[in-house]
Amino acid sequence: MSQSNTPALSIENVVKNYGPVQALQGVSFDVKKGEVFGLLGPNGAGKTSLISIIVTLEKATHGRARVFGHDVSTHPREAKLNLGWVSQEIINSGFFDVEEILKFHAGYYGVSERADRIEYILKGLSLWEHRKKKVKQLSGGMKRRLMIAKALVHEPGLLLLDEPTAGVDVELRMKLWDFVEELKGKGLSILLTTHYLEEAERLCDRVAIIHKGQIRAIGGTRMLIEEWSRKKVTLRLTEPVQSLMHPDLVKGSGQEWVFLTAMTKTLGELLQELKLNSAHLNDVKVDEGSLEDVFMRLTQEGKA
Amino acid sequence: MIKRRDIRWTPFLTLFQREIQRFVKVIVQTVVTPFVSSTLYLMIFGVSLGSQIVLQDGVPYLAFLIPGLVMMGCLNNAFQNSSSSIISSKFSGDLEDLKAAPFSPSQIIWSLSLAALVRGLVVGTVTFLVGQCCYYFMYGDFMSIAAPLVLFSFLVLGGLCFANLGITVAFWARTFDQMSAVSGFILMPLIYLGGVFFSVDHLPGFWRQISLFNPLLYMINGVRFGLLGKSDVDPMTALAVSLLAFLITLGLALNSLRRGSFQRW
Repeated sequence: MSQSNTPALSIENVVKNYGPVQALQGVSFDVKKGEVFGLLGPNGAGKTSLISIIVTLEKATHGRARVFGHDVSTHPREAKLNLGWVSQEIINSGFFDVEEILKFHAGYYGVSERADRIEYILKGLSLWEHRKKKVKQLSGGMKRRLMIAKALVHEPGLLLLDEPTAGVDVELRMKLWDFVEELKGKGLSILLTTHYLEEAERLCDRVAIIHKGQIRAIGGTRMLIEEWSRKKVTLRLTEPVQSLMHPDLVKGSGQEWVFLTAMTKTLGELLQELKLNSAHLNDVKVDEGSLEDVFMRLTQEGKA
Repeated sequence: MIKRRDIRWTPFLTLFQREIQRFVKVIVQTVVTPFVSSTLYLMIFGVSLGSQIVLQDGVPYLAFLIPGLVMMGCLNNAFQNSSSSIISSKFSGDLEDLKAAPFSPSQIIWSLSLAALVRGLVVGTVTFLVGQCCYYFMYGDFMSIAAPLVLFSFLVLGGLCFANLGITVAFWARTFDQMSAVSGFILMPLIYLGGVFFSVDHLPGFWRQISLFNPLLYMINGVRFGLLGKSDVDPMTALAVSLLAFLITLGLALNSLRRGSFQRW
């Protein structure tokens, strides 16, 4: 594989066992260069286990994780140089102020003079005026932003965001989303785990839905919605009818009838199947499916 | 864009600098408190009780005590520095940052141990200066250093050994209790029974033989030889034991880094 085609992150059949518990059961996917890839799943699905393997906090029982072609277990230093990581839990670093923490963090990655980069990141994350504060003096949102700043200070090619907006207020969440979009615009590859499906829908080019250590679906957000969700179509007729026969019918009587149809089915096709035309219609309401519908469907046992 | 990246020296020097800054930020705890305790030891044991003790070879007890306390301060503080840095990082979570960063195990070990050694040497030097003041107060003159290079070598070897032990125990420890247990039940008795306050020649035969298995006896007597020019054990034997102890503790520290836990408590 040529260097230009090498994915930013390649996960190959990764298995992780904690004693008898299988946290990851053969997970595979790639994150392409410049792509924002969402990893969605309920608590305990295996998202953080996978992130821990990528940053080498844990070792995979089986399988490989590669960052820009560097295997994290055989060439960890090369892999880590290209990696920025924002952990799910806040890291405190109690002795030092914000600016010192970022200088040290840059140094850990071999970068000694980073004043300009630190200023750019702190301003971008609205932390510049707080640069002389210790971590304990920062609010929860500021701490979260500091962690993102740490992950970016050495200019990684791949950013791992493990639930970056958990516990963050709405206004700040919007700001962080804008910042992530700005980073994406600059070509940074991002693996994002989140509980906020709105976040994934807005930011991610592709998502994978993980449940009980297995990838249940993977693809573009639009594609997944079309493939796995249903749209709700409510027809209000000009005159009441006694019955309508259709496999997608959910409920209805008289003038109002509700259907759950495939996302790809058009209104015209539905009306044709019902042997109705537009003259019979007083009003139509269509509720599009969402990533949340996909998520719920795929993470509910027995339905995937 | 980053123009220059040096992953050989910059990570090592950054972590070393961070460790130094860390103990400087809490200087009351890391240097002033040991200064107070050393002063108390010297005043009570060296000046007050020491004036009533006469050693066989004519060395004043205060002169005998000073090298022991210098080494004890150095060892204790080297151990405390590396272990408390790791333990506090386990609490705050930033130890995971070290694991996620492109450090080699050797870079982490040497950064932490050399910074711990610096703290040990600072405390050792402060203890020595307080000892000199007490000696001047008692005898109207300052002590001379018989073999400065020997003194420095043993302080460095001992400090690095204890820094490495601090790293080992802190990485292995799963709870704060385990950490305290090693410090209180193993290291402190070894230090106190290593001849800080007394000569092993004064011990009964059986206990003297037991003491010879304590590596700290050799380190402390190495420092004593460096300061006084005489000690309970042969300085070359002391050097060999100290070097061996250093290599073993370095191996233990590297092993603990590979197998121990970086995860937060």
